[in-house]
Amino acid sequence: MTDIAVDVSHVSKKFRLYKERNMTIKSTIMRGRRSIHEDFWALNDVSFDVPAGSTFGLIGSNGSGKSTLLKCLSKIYYPDEGTITANGKLAALLEVGSGFHHELSGRENIFLNGSILGMSKKEVTRKFDEIVDFSGVEKFIDQPVKNYSSGMYVRLGFSVAIAVEPEILVVDEVLAVGDAEFQEKCRMKFVDYKNDGRTVILVSHSMDTVKQMCDQAAWLSNGSLVAVGEAEPTIAAYLGSLPSGAA
Amino acid sequence: MSYIKEVLSSRELLVNLTMREVKGKYKRTVFGQLWSLANPLAAMLIYTFVFAFIFKAEPDRGDPSGLDIFALWLLCGLLPWTFLATTINAGMNSLIANTGLIQKVSFSRMVLPLSNVGATAYNWLFEMAVLLIALSIAGAFVLPWIPMMLVVMALLAIFAAGIALMLAIANVHFRDTANFVGILLQIWMYLTPIIYPLNLVQDLSDRAGPLLGTELTVYDVFKWNPMENFVEVFRQLLYDNRWPDVVPLVSCVLWSFVVFAIGVLVFRRHEKNLAEAL
Repeated sequence: MTDIAVDVSHVSKKFRLYKERNMTIKSTIMRGRRSIHEDFWALNDVSFDVPAGSTFGLIGSNGSGKSTLLKCLSKIYYPDEGTITANGKLAALLEVGSGFHHELSGRENIFLNGSILGMSKKEVTRKFDEIVDFSGVEKFIDQPVKNYSSGMYVRLGFSVAIAVEPEILVVDEVLAVGDAEFQEKCRMKFVDYKNDGRTVILVSHSMDTVKQMCDQAAWLSNGSLVAVGEAEPTIAAYLGSLPSGAA
Repeated sequence: MSYIKEVLSSRELLVNLTMREVKGKYKRTVFGQLWSLANPLAAMLIYTFVFAFIFKAEPDRGDPSGLDIFALWLLCGLLPWTFLATTINAGMNSLIANTGLIQKVSFSRMVLPLSNVGATAYNWLFEMAVLLIALSIAGAFVLPWIPMMLVVMALLAIFAAGIALMLAIANVHFRDTANFVGILLQIWMYLTPIIYPLNLVQDLSDRAGPLLGTELTVYDVFKWNPMENFVEVFRQLLYDNRWPDVVPLVSCVLWSFVVFAIGVLVFRRHEKNLAEAL
């Protein structure tokens, strides 16, 4: 457990809060400017290491910068300062069913979504049965996904995403998909991930989930890191800071 | 170099996204792929009626093919133009149309506009195949010129991709880019000798003489238009059935690669900012 899977070092991310934003050529010329804005630091000098093979939770209240950090980790945003170094293939699961085309069948969408998530055609072909099996939509696999129920849709999306099997998986609150049975299946999958020595970084508002799954946690508040370390004490500290004292 | 590697590694994604566009477009329509012929056919009928019958435009007879059919002459220029215009429009909107994807998944963003180029090119190939059949029925011997035609088609696709990449970025930052481009494309089309023959421009140019005391004539200015070069090369290959002139051909090559290089540079500079800008 001495290896470091992800090294987050002095990461800061700035957003612009717009008072006026001219999104058209016409208004830019008429108003004589592009925008009036002030800077807002969504992340402020955040540093921590995620040990390889651990399940790492990011906790904090709404607007504390968890999702921004997650997007920086998944290379959707790029930090303004600092660096993030990942040792190994990293995949992010921020939304299920990204890029599904409604008119295409489940089968076609598995291949499409798989390649968006970075899998090769060979890889998807090899894992195809596993994906379909996990999703539990075998009967409807050749139907267009627009006819799927919302549960089937997210289950299929989740099954493709989980099949990527990266060394480091970044997950945003997507565990709450499907029925109880499917959620149990997902939980088992994460246990498998852990047993395979993969690293999982997840954001959750459910402290029970974090307590149950994570062995390490980082607590963010207003864009700054408050505490990082073993999951139990970090969660306790976070819960203790809440005014009501309860979660 | 690593950037090129990254784009190459998303080859499969590019193919899949292209097929998504192609398959999704005519899904659940009775005539399927045939719909892609509807627009060029309608345009052909309208322009032939207006310009050949009412304005009596007379393009030069195909040399050496001997063809003298306005509709076919028109299509040799109109199909490449339609491809360019469709690619620019689709590519320009590709980033905004996939906002959700860009904000949730990390992948090489360039595949989005490029997949639109690919999907439009797929339809264009189909249209060109139909045109080749029509030309053959009319008596042109196009077969030996097909390989060269494919090369020039690839050049035009590269040219279109370059413009699409630039405008896709511009459209994210200025949402009315699409409106301006719509107008500019219309102007560009009428400044390109697609529906009227270049010899009419030559007549005008001879009457007007050199411009503003320089050596330049209207004709020279027209020849600077990259699409004029492309249309000329396509007509020489398909309608005249001969090897294209060197000057327009070289000009096509240069325009394609220069515009594509600028497109890639612009796209690369703004790529990382996309998730926030959208």
